[in-house]
Amino acid sequence: MKNPDDTDQLSPVPASKNSITQIFRLSGSTKTIKSKESPKCNKKQDSLWYALYFPQLEELSESRQKKLLSELASAVRQVSSEISFHSHALICEIRSSLKYFGGMERVHDKLAPVLNALLQQRGLPGYFLYAASPTVIGSLLLARSGHNVLVYQKNSLRSALGRLPTNVLRLSKEQNCRLYNMGVRYLRDIWRLPANGLHTRFGGDFVNLLNKALGKAPEPIHNYLPPPAFSTSYDLPFELENLDRLSPVVDEVVAQLCEFLRHRDLCISHLLLSLQHEKRDNTEVDLALRRPNRSQEHLIMLLETHFSNLIIPAPVTGVKLKAKKFNAFMGRSNSLLAEDRPTSTHGSENDLDQFVEQLHAKLADNYLKCIRSVSEHCPEYANQQTDYGEPIDESSNGDGHRKGKEQEAQFVALAPRPLWLLREPRQLVLRNSKLYHRKAVTLISGPERIETFWWSGTDVCRDYYVAREASGSRLWVYRERTSDKNWYLHGYFA
Amino acid sequence: MAGQGFRGQSTGFPQLDDILPSRGWPQSGLIEVITPCWGIGELQLLIPLMRSVVEQDKWVLWITPPHMPYAPALVQVGVNTDQILVVKRDTSCKDALWSMEKALQTSNFGLVLTWQNWLPGKVLRRLQLAAENGNTLGVFFKQHDSKYSPSQIRLKIKDSLVRNNNKEASDFSETEITVINARGNFRPLTTRVNLYQPS
Repeated sequence: MKNPDDTDQLSPVPASKNSITQIFRLSGSTKTIKSKESPKCNKKQDSLWYALYFPQLEELSESRQKKLLSELASAVRQVSSEISFHSHALICEIRSSLKYFGGMERVHDKLAPVLNALLQQRGLPGYFLYAASPTVIGSLLLARSGHNVLVYQKNSLRSALGRLPTNVLRLSKEQNCRLYNMGVRYLRDIWRLPANGLHTRFGGDFVNLLNKALGKAPEPIHNYLPPPAFSTSYDLPFELENLDRLSPVVDEVVAQLCEFLRHRDLCISHLLLSLQHEKRDNTEVDLALRRPNRSQEHLIMLLETHFSNLIIPAPVTGVKLKAKKFNAFMGRSNSLLAEDRPTSTHGSENDLDQFVEQLHAKLADNYLKCIRSVSEHCPEYANQQTDYGEPIDESSNGDGHRKGKEQEAQFVALAPRPLWLLREPRQLVLRNSKLYHRKAVTLISGPERIETFWWSGTDVCRDYYVAREASGSRLWVYRERTSDKNWYLHGYFA
Repeated sequence: MAGQGFRGQSTGFPQLDDILPSRGWPQSGLIEVITPCWGIGELQLLIPLMRSVVEQDKWVLWITPPHMPYAPALVQVGVNTDQILVVKRDTSCKDALWSMEKALQTSNFGLVLTWQNWLPGKVLRRLQLAAENGNTLGVFFKQHDSKYSPSQIRLKIKDSLVRNNNKEASDFSETEITVINARGNFRPLTTRVNLYQPS
């Protein structure tokens, strides 16, 4: 069997250097068809798809291709709002903006330098192949062939596509072989074959592709959506000194943000509100949320909490809101049955997060602490303080959480521990062989010997006792077994 | 004796239950615990309550405790430290009260503990309302009694040594608790409780 790839005949047509746009028109009848169609097509004008094919992308890795294509797409956005991604190609709808730009040539002239420069910046040869036709796949096939053509009418698509070699279809090697052996070299040879036979030989996808190219089958596409960005500002008509008066403006700005979030199905986790002043630097309120949110009331409440601590250097002349970090919106459905436990606790978890966020807005960042017991022999190190939020991460993966529980379980068996441990042990006075703290101290039980850190310089060698002060409080005291044998107070049983 | 009708959350100390109206802690409201100095047994008194709050899947907030709570000890008495939050000591009084009010209004917290020495009645009344709205119990640890406070219960913990001088044996184990004022009680009642129970 002869491999069709070896033959010269099927090699792709090289891109014409001077890129002459051939325009296929049904001469003469064009005008009449147009005028006939226009009344009924007024409502639903046929789209014209402009395909940009970048053959140089083929050598790149898939992730780089994707990145580059989205960069190119943002450049193409200046001529069209409907852009879809295809393999090594971008296809955009151009009919709606033809009149504005004044023709296809102008659109191309506008795009070509930008895209070429962009490609060259990335170290790639700066050229691309293009074509336009009334169908997405049709344009793609025409662009792949390198024929840089423009087909206005759907009726002329069949003949225009017919001139293309079969390899523009990007079939598998086996299917290519089969087509070649059937004597099919160009698409027009396929047009002559019955659809049923093609369906059995090459499968439904193949026939569907051809139908799409000819505009006989619908072509669903995924539109390119630029990454979300939100920024809005409001200039006050007069200066404001009182931040309370600002709240209607802030409400309005936040409402705009929430509207945007709803449209894009997003949540926000970081936003920046700047208050502008005359001849001064802006006062900035940096709001980072613990859990992504898009509730207007919650955001406003947090901003107002921030405002309550804020001191402005000068009257406010304007407000600017900028979203810094978006997250996908995770909806949660309510349970049908009221007594369903998990959802109700989940909802209250949300409440807690709101409370903690508010607390963070009011107090400084590290004012809220969590405590955890750690498996550690030395009493000072057995208590771990963390900022709230870190343990949440750990509890989200069930394994770490369980491990923590086990560690805690080991601890329960040990000797009594005080509810309050002093950060620094306080030395007790020994007078006439009696101990004094604020009042006289008598030992009740003990000792419990704790010896650790002998491997490091700070040796811990202590005998712990439970003691009772004359005032009635219970103390945890120890005596050092090394050097001075001093007595120290280390905690209160409270 | 007090304690007819509605049954509250048991304090875990039968002697104390006996002298409290509704035979235990109320479901919501403010409790004042007055001690001559910190660390005299006031936390031990609340441990059973803390345990039951945590078991109900609610959180305990400690606002400005004089010392950091020690997690191993809490674990020992059966309080899960995952559900404990602490607001650090050097928070200003205003912020501390603000966070207490917010916490009392949030349904997640079952118990809010605060260490503050002196507060005007207006503030206490406001907190009392917040606690009733949020169905949360707030506890104030104070060193001085104020006669006209609107709190639901005012307790005083006294050192027991003075009274009990002649009975040496019970000296170390019992603490005197006086319920100065409680909604439902007519006069102050006093009992002796062994706070440091061998667990």
